[in-house]
Amino acid sequence: MSIPQIEIQFIAIIVAVACAIPGAFLVLRRMAMISDAISHAILPGIVIGFFITQDVSSPFLVLMAAATGVLTVVLVEIINRTRLVKEDAAIGLVFPALFSIGVILITRFAGDVHIDTHAVLVGELAFAPFNQLIINGNPMGPKSLWVMGGILVLSLVLLGVFYKELKISTFDPQLAASLGFTPVVIHYGLMTMTSITAVGAFDAVGAILVVALMIVPPAAAYLMTQSLNRMLVLSSVIGIAAAIAGYWIAHFLNVSIGGSMAAILGFIFLLIYFFAPKRGVISVLMRRKQQKLEFSMLTFLLHLRNHSIENSNPEEREVSHLTDHFQWTSKRAKEVLEFAENNNMIRIDDGMVELTDKGYSFTDEAMQYILTDKKNELESMKGRFLLFRAE
Amino acid sequence: MMKRIALLATLGFILAFTACKNTGQKSDDAKMHVVATTTMVHDLVKNIGGDRIKSDGLMGPGVDPHLYRASESDVGKLSNSDVIFYNGLHLEGKLVDVFDKMNRLGKNIYPVADTINENNLVPSADYASSYDPHIWFDINLWKKAAHFIADKLSRHDPENQVYYQSNLKKYTSEMDSVQKEINSLIDQVPKDKRILITAHDAFNYFGQAFGFEVVGLQGISTASEAGVKDVQNLADMIVKNEIGAIFIESSVPRRNIEALQEAVKSRGFEVKIGGELYSDALGTPGTEEGKYTGMFFHNVKTIVKALK
Repeated sequence: MSIPQIEIQFIAIIVAVACAIPGAFLVLRRMAMISDAISHAILPGIVIGFFITQDVSSPFLVLMAAATGVLTVVLVEIINRTRLVKEDAAIGLVFPALFSIGVILITRFAGDVHIDTHAVLVGELAFAPFNQLIINGNPMGPKSLWVMGGILVLSLVLLGVFYKELKISTFDPQLAASLGFTPVVIHYGLMTMTSITAVGAFDAVGAILVVALMIVPPAAAYLMTQSLNRMLVLSSVIGIAAAIAGYWIAHFLNVSIGGSMAAILGFIFLLIYFFAPKRGVISVLMRRKQQKLEFSMLTFLLHLRNHSIENSNPEEREVSHLTDHFQWTSKRAKEVLEFAENNNMIRIDDGMVELTDKGYSFTDEAMQYILTDKKNELESMKGRFLLFRAE
Repeated sequence: MMKRIALLATLGFILAFTACKNTGQKSDDAKMHVVATTTMVHDLVKNIGGDRIKSDGLMGPGVDPHLYRASESDVGKLSNSDVIFYNGLHLEGKLVDVFDKMNRLGKNIYPVADTINENNLVPSADYASSYDPHIWFDINLWKKAAHFIADKLSRHDPENQVYYQSNLKKYTSEMDSVQKEINSLIDQVPKDKRILITAHDAFNYFGQAFGFEVVGLQGISTASEAGVKDVQNLADMIVKNEIGAIFIESSVPRRNIEALQEAVKSRGFEVKIGGELYSDALGTPGTEEGKYTGMFFHNVKTIVKALK
């Protein structure tokens, strides 16, 4: 590995963690798209900065970009406060407006000058190691490593100091207000941090990857855990994994580094979306199927109990009767019967079905819970009685 | 959790900064490694450096330099290079800032536009500090760029100086004869028909050199959009001057020019699309259009055929 290659991976890792922290809160607050909005809305800031300085390489332009990012958030908040439109619509109203102002300013006043976001922000990981910070003529390491490192440290310090406030105002703004710290201040603090991170990261890795790193890892982590702590750590880990894997895939395929990282992020999200232990699509589908079968068995057992031997009418206990009475397909009926038999709930004798002792005590208890409407006990009871759970 | 993240970050910093102490390692191959940004500059470098250098281009054919995205191998090309040539005049966007930084750290990086006297550059109307970067469309200016590259190659690789200078001589005389042929081709276009309308403002130097009035639908930066009024004004102008053809460019989407064609049609005049011109990039390597001279011939033939 050559030095620039190592540097690129470190920059990507630091950007990944720096983006994951505000990103986790954005995802939890259902305003993930604000990161995309900021990365577009900074254009007018850059253009106006250029009009003032007349120099595309002035750092003032980057400051203006960050300021427009904050302005975006403020405008979204003002529109949102009116309660006339929803949050996502407010975001959608603000950033195209700001972006178009930038485009109009360019075409009207600077049509023949090279000025666009890419003229000011590098936005290309491949060049980041060559964009060194120079002090007294000595290279001090890539500039974006310092900038993003600084932003990350600031982010971590603020997170450490305001962790409780951030947590409460994210999950329960009313409680936060009643506890005496205004959610508004926390909100703007978070959004300012998001804006600074977005502009810094834009310079280091480019617009698409900024949005991907802010949203995808937290969204994936959200499917894996319900604790804020773990979500922050997991988001960072996913971001780091995608950064490193993405770099090496870009290396072997010789493609854009940022693009490859964003693609890996998408792939990781897809994996987690399908295979997450509890909230993944597959596990949700399986659980639903299991519940359906278990519920069918319970209905069937209760039916048998109603028509137990003492109450006579043997027809009701015939295997062939199942398809008529419950309007189950024969496949479904067979499934339920097998499931009940495997769990020792029933005995089948010569085409006649009968509850076992276990079947009786199971239905006994179940009826109690059903009559008193205790759903949780009903679920935990299944765990005690069923040898095999449905699959 | 916080501690772990903090630890990771510090670890990253320490490793990164100890790692980047020794930049600028020499390429292991004995030949000098030369990197060029655009296909035009790369073509010059290949013609002059010949087989005594190892050369790489960053931007591929058909790639708009304003919208160029680096791939992973570009990292290695840049870090292993001995000399880097780029066009300059903001054509390479933010990459220029990166080059400035590398230059300050002792890397040999040269913008070929540096060799051209400011009086010969086409200034941009609104800002005095900016010039039109499409200098390769004036063959005389591009010859200066060839001299510039030969000088720099000789300076960094004095052993092969004679070779580079003789290549330079060969190539400039080739450019001379190309220029002659092109002039006689262009003579076929009557003076009053020399109006060149293209997708973006890339042909100002071409116009200056060959007496064309040049109008680009988009500004110099292809990132800016053509305004509705631009399209309307241009359409009026085409009808008024009875211009026969407008041109699309290889590295710019054609839909804007097609919109212009429609606007002209709605005014009851027919303007045809004269063909595709190479503007910000050469054609596919290996073909005639993949070379600077071939590209120039292609453009001029296309223009002459459509306008004469």
